[in-house]
Amino acid sequence: MSILDNVAGNLAASTPGSSTELRRATWRGRLQMAVLIVVYVVMFLAFTIPFFWMFFGSIREEAEIFANLYPFTWKTILPIKWSLKNYLDIFGISDDGQKFGLQFQRFLGNSFLVSAGVVLSSLFFNTLAAYFFARLRFPLKNVLLVFVIATMLVPFQATIVPLYIVVDALGMANSYNGLIFPWYASPFVIFALMQFMRDIPTDLDEAAVMDGANLFHILWRVIVPLSIPGIITMALLEFQFIWNLFYWPLILISSPQLQMIQVAIATQTTQTQTFWGRTFAGSVTASLPVIVLFLFLQRYYVQGIALTGLKG
Amino acid sequence: MLATPISTPAKGWGRIWSRRNRYYLIAFLFVLPALINFTVFRYLPILAALRASMYQYSLLGGFGDFVGLDQYHAILSDSFFRNSLWVTLKFTIYKVPLQVLFSLILALFLARENLGTAFVRSAVFTPVVTSVIVVSVLWSMMYHSQLGLINSLLSIVGVPPQAFLSNPDRALPALTAMMIWKDVGFSMIILMAGLKGIPVVYREAAVVDGAKPWEVLWHITLPLLRRVMMFVMVTQTIFSFQVFVPVYAMTRGGPLERTKAVVYYIYQYGFLFQDMGTASAMSIVTLIILLVVSVGQMRLFRSDVSY
Amino acid sequence: MKTWKVLAVLMLLCAAVLAACTVAPVPMPADDSMAMEDEGPSGPVTLKFLALADDDQLNAWREILAEFQQLNDGEYSYVELEFETIPFRELFPKIESSVAVGLPWDLFQADGPDMKHYGFNRVIWPLTDHFSDEEMAQWFPQSIEEGSFRDQFLGPPIMQSCSLLMYNKDFTDAAGISPPVGIENAWTMEEAVAAWQDTTVDENGDGVPEVWGLRWGQGTWTGDYEHGIFRRSNGEIGSATYAGMGEDGVTFQGYLDTDEAAEAMQFYQDLHQTYKVSPVEAIPEIFESRQAAFMVTPDNRIGALNRIHGEGNFNWGVSGIPYFKTPVCHTGSWHYGISPNTQHFEEALEFVRYASSDAGARIWYKHVRQLPANIGLFNELDEYSEDGNQRVWLDAMNSFGIPRIQTPGYTEYQQLFAEAAGNIVVGADPKEQLSAAARRLEGLVAKYTGWNN
Repeated sequence: MSILDNVAGNLAASTPGSSTELRRATWRGRLQMAVLIVVYVVMFLAFTIPFFWMFFGSIREEAEIFANLYPFTWKTILPIKWSLKNYLDIFGISDDGQKFGLQFQRFLGNSFLVSAGVVLSSLFFNTLAAYFFARLRFPLKNVLLVFVIATMLVPFQATIVPLYIVVDALGMANSYNGLIFPWYASPFVIFALMQFMRDIPTDLDEAAVMDGANLFHILWRVIVPLSIPGIITMALLEFQFIWNLFYWPLILISSPQLQMIQVAIATQTTQTQTFWGRTFAGSVTASLPVIVLFLFLQRYYVQGIALTGLKG
Repeated sequence: MLATPISTPAKGWGRIWSRRNRYYLIAFLFVLPALINFTVFRYLPILAALRASMYQYSLLGGFGDFVGLDQYHAILSDSFFRNSLWVTLKFTIYKVPLQVLFSLILALFLARENLGTAFVRSAVFTPVVTSVIVVSVLWSMMYHSQLGLINSLLSIVGVPPQAFLSNPDRALPALTAMMIWKDVGFSMIILMAGLKGIPVVYREAAVVDGAKPWEVLWHITLPLLRRVMMFVMVTQTIFSFQVFVPVYAMTRGGPLERTKAVVYYIYQYGFLFQDMGTASAMSIVTLIILLVVSVGQMRLFRSDVSY
Repeated sequence: MKTWKVLAVLMLLCAAVLAACTVAPVPMPADDSMAMEDEGPSGPVTLKFLALADDDQLNAWREILAEFQQLNDGEYSYVELEFETIPFRELFPKIESSVAVGLPWDLFQADGPDMKHYGFNRVIWPLTDHFSDEEMAQWFPQSIEEGSFRDQFLGPPIMQSCSLLMYNKDFTDAAGISPPVGIENAWTMEEAVAAWQDTTVDENGDGVPEVWGLRWGQGTWTGDYEHGIFRRSNGEIGSATYAGMGEDGVTFQGYLDTDEAAEAMQFYQDLHQTYKVSPVEAIPEIFESRQAAFMVTPDNRIGALNRIHGEGNFNWGVSGIPYFKTPVCHTGSWHYGISPNTQHFEEALEFVRYASSDAGARIWYKHVRQLPANIGLFNELDEYSEDGNQRVWLDAMNSFGIPRIQTPGYTEYQQLFAEAAGNIVVGADPKEQLSAAARRLEGLVAKYTGWNN
């Protein structure tokens, strides 16, 4: 870590005096740059090879997917015969897709709707609750905090059926509401935002109090703007959490029109065979929106200054 | 933490509607929606599980006799349940420290802005959103004792082919490594958000004072990141303790029960052994263990650092 | 803080919600069905049908429904189907969860071995009085056995299956092997293992075969349907090993863990560890992607091969199933189940009656191409005629197809058996594994004691 930081630091800090120094520095700089690029490339590949295997697997003929695993060559990853059939299938464009009534666009839409609904409501309610725990005074607040965090500790597999019974009793079985309502507040997000908000200096909101602002104004004007990185992060994580829900929609939803994308992908495994091509194509279409969202939100994570104190 | 807010004086509402109580009421409104959610959607099911744990209960057959604490007694003497707790504990102990360490390194390394880091940052996040079905198949193949990429790489340095997932001693570490790979991006972006929240002035001041990079990291950045680190530690411990999906998708608990994490065992007991009563008792025990662990962690990491 | 960007994202999400709301006008099924009940049998009746995720099946049922609506001058033209589909592995948990809230559907697709669970827990409508002897004679006796609980008939079969030894002719020809034709001359395990060894090819000698001799069973799991055949095949008919379970349906010690069963499972281990004709860690689609010469599978593999390689492009053949003392294939039927909560019993029953009749099964076969459970159908299907290339499955079914062990504890059994088999593959001692599984299993299924007397 610190070696790499020094490398990067030196790159930026090479302000040489004489021309020989300049040449030496440039030479060293280039070497270090090369090392850095190699590190980047290795890391990039280590984390994305599975994704590319899945991506290229979705645009090759299905017979190839498991045929060239060994020895490891370009054929393992890259298609020999390219084919868009899997995508045409899952979106119901090809004959097979139409014959089987496949409509992944519908399931993607459902997932998007549910995820967006949860993220929006959860951002609002969790921010309120996190503010309460981070900043407001209340008797037995710590007990309430344990009450909130303890909800994270129960294995979902044990409570999914009782939860189904509750949601059914509320008339929300087999509906978007049943997919959204149970998640509009999240102990994980409250806990996280609470930690972020506690790191905001208190003199800021005290000043606002002096100006006569009410609690909601302090939250909206002072705390929220300073918690943006945390809020964005939680929105993203919440989005991918809901987006990847599998067991809950599987149990709750009975109308195919309402089903979410992860369940739809799983239905491409029948009792006798797995439609690997469609599974891969479905998985690619399911992961791309979240990756794009991440790319879009990236700038909220980057720093203007290297974290060890050197300009980067 | 905060001075009592200035508000208009109470006008004849009596003692109960005092200014302080009114403040409490307003404050409570902030947390009320969340509390309602948790009461209805989390605690009702937990209470239902608590009740089920004291009855003979299967999903198909419904409730049978009341058996009190018998099922708790039974699971505590069930060597398979104890084994599953042990497997889960090992998984958590392997995974959490390494994942937090790696994600911290990545967060520090990738927080700077240039084209390379932008690519790598996205790459690290990719496994988080890649379908678990696909990830499981792929890693099964990468770990494969004969076909696997990992063995191909090992053979370059002259190591004979190894079995991973079919070797009882290596299956759990292999599963752990895969899950660190998959989850490291998750904790990385939380830590990045935490880093972003640290005011730049502190570090700049230290640099002006002539502090070395590692000194800035050790004395300024990390202490200020403590709360977020604590959060990541505690939540990752909880999530690791509840590991289910990779076990379900890849190993089904085998070989020789060595990867049978407790939540998979609960699932198996409740849905496949058709005994949700016992499965509920296991869940309650797991809840209690996690409660003790989490509270302990939070005390351990309690951070009084402030500006 | 770039607030506008945050706002932009929020706006985008809001827009998405609105857009999705407008493009997704979804009928609320609950309201529909309530409205229908009021209208009485003259209004439309929608039967909600919980089924396996399998698009071929759904198309089959759609066509069966269309024919059903025409029946008797449209007597049931007001009946519609609404499907809910679930992947195989989640089907049983889904049915369990739905039972816990009160079975929100009318019909469901029940796996043969699970029928006893449903019967034991009374979550399926018994149909004994609704089918005549003549109708019962339509189906394989194995299907009736699988579809019954004690003396009650719970649901007619959808289809049947039986696993045999399929092979890739290109590989057997290359090795100069011609597997026996028909079931009479089927290989013993000893003979078969020689063929599997001959077809395991490692040309470049790097220790990793390009082609393995054998994949035993569909998928990559070690489930009872195919892998349980080993232990039962090593007993004579009538022996404890062959029976696989005590007559009370809850005893396993002395049945699952006999010396014969252990010997068979030792051989099963040797296939992976000593003869190395099958990879210890299973490879998905190993036979379909031409990396294995033989595969033990039901006839559904033919459809998969045609789909992946194009109709007729995969040069396959089929032989009987290798055996120790007794040839065995596990039969595997799926059944129609009617929920006890249905408000439309008559319509559900009549649909099931039609779908499971020869006429319905004929449509089913056209779409799904798997062994029918209706005996009469075999007279008209060329594939199963005397010299048809799928005839051998019918012969096997008739001469040695036996249902898997019949107990309400089948799911418990299958979990423990599959785990034991998995452990045996990676090298655990077979006798120890089977004994431990039998002991533990008896504890788990004690709750069903007395279920069949």
